[in-house]
Amino acid sequence: MKRFLRDNGLGLAFGLLFLATLIGQAFAGNADLDNRRLTDGGDPIGFWQYVASSDFAVDVAENWQSEYLQFFLFIFATVWLMQRGSPESKPADRIGAESDKDQLLGAHVKEQSPPWAKAGGWRTALYSNSLGLVVLGLFVGSWLTQSIAGRSAYNNDQLNTFQDPVGWWDYVLSADFWNRSLQNWQSEFLAIGSMAVLSVYLRQRGSPESKPVGTPHDRTDESG
Amino acid sequence: MIGFRWCAVVSLPAVLVLAGCGSGSGDVVERVTEEFTAAVASGDSVRACELLTDRAREDVECSSLDVPGGTVESVEVWGDAAQVRTSDDVLFLRELSSGWRVAGAGCESRGERPYTCEVGGP
Repeated sequence: MKRFLRDNGLGLAFGLLFLATLIGQAFAGNADLDNRRLTDGGDPIGFWQYVASSDFAVDVAENWQSEYLQFFLFIFATVWLMQRGSPESKPADRIGAESDKDQLLGAHVKEQSPPWAKAGGWRTALYSNSLGLVVLGLFVGSWLTQSIAGRSAYNNDQLNTFQDPVGWWDYVLSADFWNRSLQNWQSEFLAIGSMAVLSVYLRQRGSPESKPVGTPHDRTDESG
Repeated sequence: MIGFRWCAVVSLPAVLVLAGCGSGSGDVVERVTEEFTAAVASGDSVRACELLTDRAREDVECSSLDVPGGTVESVEVWGDAAQVRTSDDVLFLRELSSGWRVAGAGCESRGERPYTCEVGGP
């Protein structure tokens, strides 16, 4: 048990943090919606009714989609783009999809390599891109969910302010949808860009997200 | 009548999607609307005023309620709000703890600006 906790500490810790903050968001969001409802002549709603509402769903989904977009772009961009001196980047001589030798494929597979890495053909091609494709799928699913839940929440606001509801396509082209999307995207891109550059010059001893403290600034592809 | 039932089948994750779909209150909204317009048409101003939200009631003289009425043609419900189009009118309703109530009646569109209503309104 102790070993399991140690071996999975990162996933477990962030899983618990996720649940705790999601629950916190539900309580804060419920209180916020109740305040707004009382202001515009409505009645407060219960906690579980709020958790099942489109208001909660769109607030959750708009953040999820931007996180998965961030990781999808980071996964694919780091194949082709580099940042000299950053532990998040490959060195210049490894830009691109790399050789079978580097990727332990074809004649270079190991006995313990994943079955689809050893299988060859379409299975290996698919498995070679599986991380990016799954994260892309999570992004698309979350963004679609944002559009559906967002339309529902938007139409509720429209009706409460005596305006016509809109169809899904109209909502996807609306300022509300793009404001929600872009305000999340810009913060994700800022975080990736600043992390890539700051990690060239700054260190965090013991973190694999940082180079070892004594590593020269221009040294790439090293973590400590 | 309620144009968002399809959304339960088209996207993931299921919990969030179901949350984005409507509450299926169209029949209740239609019934309250018909009761309101019937009360106005028959001169039952007490019953008609009971079916208004508090906010809508503040701005009207119950004894002289007069809105177009008509038969219900379409209902859209999104969360705690609804819009009903009748053959002669557009009405807005709100779901309160006491049930669905008419928040606006005798409403006319002003394009992208909110409707103006003879009873209630923004």
